[in-house]
Amino acid sequence: MDLRLTDEQRAVRETFAALFRKESTPQRVRIAESTGMDRALWQSYAQVEALGIGIPSDRGGADGGLLELALIAQEAGRRLAPIPIAETAAAARLLGRLGEKELLAPVLTGSNIVSLATGSRPVGDQLLVDGAIADAVLAFDGESVRYVTRPDGQPTIPRRNLGGLPLARWDVATGRSLAEGEPARGEFARALDEVRVLRAAALIGLAEEAVQIGSEYAKVRMAFGQPIGMYQAVAHPFADILGALDGAQLLVQKACWALDSEQDDGPALATMAFVFAAETAYQASQHSLHVHGGYGFTEEYDIQLYYRRAKAWTVAFADPRRELLVLADRRFGPALPGGR
Amino acid sequence: MDFTEPANWSRIRNDAEAFIAEHVTREVIENERRTGDGVDRTLTRKLGARGWVAPTWPVEEGGAGLDHFEASVLLDTLRKGGVPTIGPGTTMLPANAIKATGSEELKARILPGVAAGSTLICLGYTEPAGGSDVFACATRAERDGDEWIVNGQKIFTTFAHVADYCFLLTRSQVGSAGTRGLTMLLVPLDSPGIEIRAVHTMGYERTNVVFYNDVRVADTNRIGEAHQGFSVMRAALEAEQNIAPSARTRSIAADALEFARTQPRSDGDPLINDDIVRERLARMAMEAEVADLLGLRVAFLDADGEKPGPVSALFGPESYVRASAAAIDIAGMSGLLDWTDPEAPVDGSMDAHYRSAVATTIYGGSSEVLRSLIVENRLGLPRSRPRR
Repeated sequence: MDLRLTDEQRAVRETFAALFRKESTPQRVRIAESTGMDRALWQSYAQVEALGIGIPSDRGGADGGLLELALIAQEAGRRLAPIPIAETAAAARLLGRLGEKELLAPVLTGSNIVSLATGSRPVGDQLLVDGAIADAVLAFDGESVRYVTRPDGQPTIPRRNLGGLPLARWDVATGRSLAEGEPARGEFARALDEVRVLRAAALIGLAEEAVQIGSEYAKVRMAFGQPIGMYQAVAHPFADILGALDGAQLLVQKACWALDSEQDDGPALATMAFVFAAETAYQASQHSLHVHGGYGFTEEYDIQLYYRRAKAWTVAFADPRRELLVLADRRFGPALPGGR
Repeated sequence: MDFTEPANWSRIRNDAEAFIAEHVTREVIENERRTGDGVDRTLTRKLGARGWVAPTWPVEEGGAGLDHFEASVLLDTLRKGGVPTIGPGTTMLPANAIKATGSEELKARILPGVAAGSTLICLGYTEPAGGSDVFACATRAERDGDEWIVNGQKIFTTFAHVADYCFLLTRSQVGSAGTRGLTMLLVPLDSPGIEIRAVHTMGYERTNVVFYNDVRVADTNRIGEAHQGFSVMRAALEAEQNIAPSARTRSIAADALEFARTQPRSDGDPLINDDIVRERLARMAMEAEVADLLGLRVAFLDADGEKPGPVSALFGPESYVRASAAAIDIAGMSGLLDWTDPEAPVDGSMDAHYRSAVATTIYGGSSEVLRSLIVENRLGLPRSRPRR
């Protein structure tokens, strides 16, 4: 047992913290809301070889694990980085596990963006989370994992949405099969669990920064003759949120360890990490916005960027309460027929 | 990072379970439920013989030489198995304070008995008017030659009626206030002038009010410097917040799951097949995992000398209260039956947890005090309690 990050992992975290601090400023985040992505940031991200970190070296990557990716996602979340991280990282690892070296090569340089269709409906019926910017998505149709390339003429401007996400639909029926049957099902499920963990990590980063913004404001904003942070109704919710964030981080770390070392409980832990991080991120951003009073409601203040994404980044994958039923299946076994 | 459980944890768990199978009879369990004593003296001596009262102390000092993690595995298993752990567990807080700041004579006189399970020490902090504000202490200690004369009243002195000593917070300087002018005394509970009255709780636990009327305590029973009791107390309080017993959220989650697997809904279908039940059981499992991980991290960071603030001591009890309330909702009427009813499912666990959970957000630092400490230490928010 060892609950510490290695020196290398700390270095990864510092590197990406610095990158996003510099290149994912609130101003650039605002500009990217209409395009769904900051292309210059994506280039910087590719240049530091971020895209190969979670890929085995025999597939052209750097042999990192899910934990390294989670550390990056958390730092990206902290600065609301407008680049696709969770679904693309899970898709790249899925291509790696399926042995698709040729498809993977342009992904690792950043020239080809391959994301996931995480919904359960046919790919053409889904609002794709990276639809406006992806060149291809991996989808599971119940039988096969399919590589679906963007058809010509599909929108590259995102649908206007709450979280500035690059949402778009593709008018497409299907793509070519990369894997069939049980292996396809298992590997795609694994990719979805990795999305759960990486979305959780990003939401934790988002929430940590929301707490920073909210608590700093509470120190300087005066009301009735004292800083509002002195009122317990303002201060105390932050304490519960900090505890929950520590817990969410531990869940993410344990889920990374469990998935990468093939523990039986890995999928259940991934589900817990997602739900717990999602709920905590909402609470963190909601309370931090609220303590700003009316100012938090204005576009000028950054906290509204966090509040909107806390929900957008969550439901882009799933309804947290529905995920609790997934967790119940994983921990307690499925409900027996006739039970529901 | 590696969350693999070290191999010796399962050995420790097995040892503890073997102990439980041999010594913790149904009679022991029912006796504790009936009396709420928080301790079984015979059983505590048997724990002491194995070094399990002071498990983190070296073997030559009567301990078992375990690290923090191993000790918490041991204590959790013992508690789960029905060993009354409040008495021996509480004893260790003052015992560690004595170990850190007591005189050599006091250590030699008291600590071997503690480790052996024959000496029990209760906590005399809280007063009727004090509550969470422990440093409002008004119990007086007046120096008289080689002795102190103690007058005052303490409340919530759990297991005082079976303990040997009370680790007593007193105000020793007239006119002092707050954290200044305090002295810690180890008061033998058989001293003349002490009166102990039972206070029964809804949680099958007994606690006490203790009156001190001209009680004479030898100065050799002072812990730390005279009038500097705050530093002794602070160390003991921090130990309590940072090494809180692991959360019982896991325990109610497991019992509620067993209830749902074995008990039918009104239409006869098992509760576990109902999505409304499943969602809440999943939430309990999730919060239990978080509570355990936060507790594990406390032990881990403690070994590293880091302090994340009492977030574990806040989340554990708060999640336990939430889970105990949800478990009752799920269980319905048969969950209301207490353990004395032969038909009570899961040995009346839903009733018992609901009764006892709520107190855990109070003792060892109320949630509100912990929240203030957390936001002050980690976010630098201004202090909200008035300074004295």
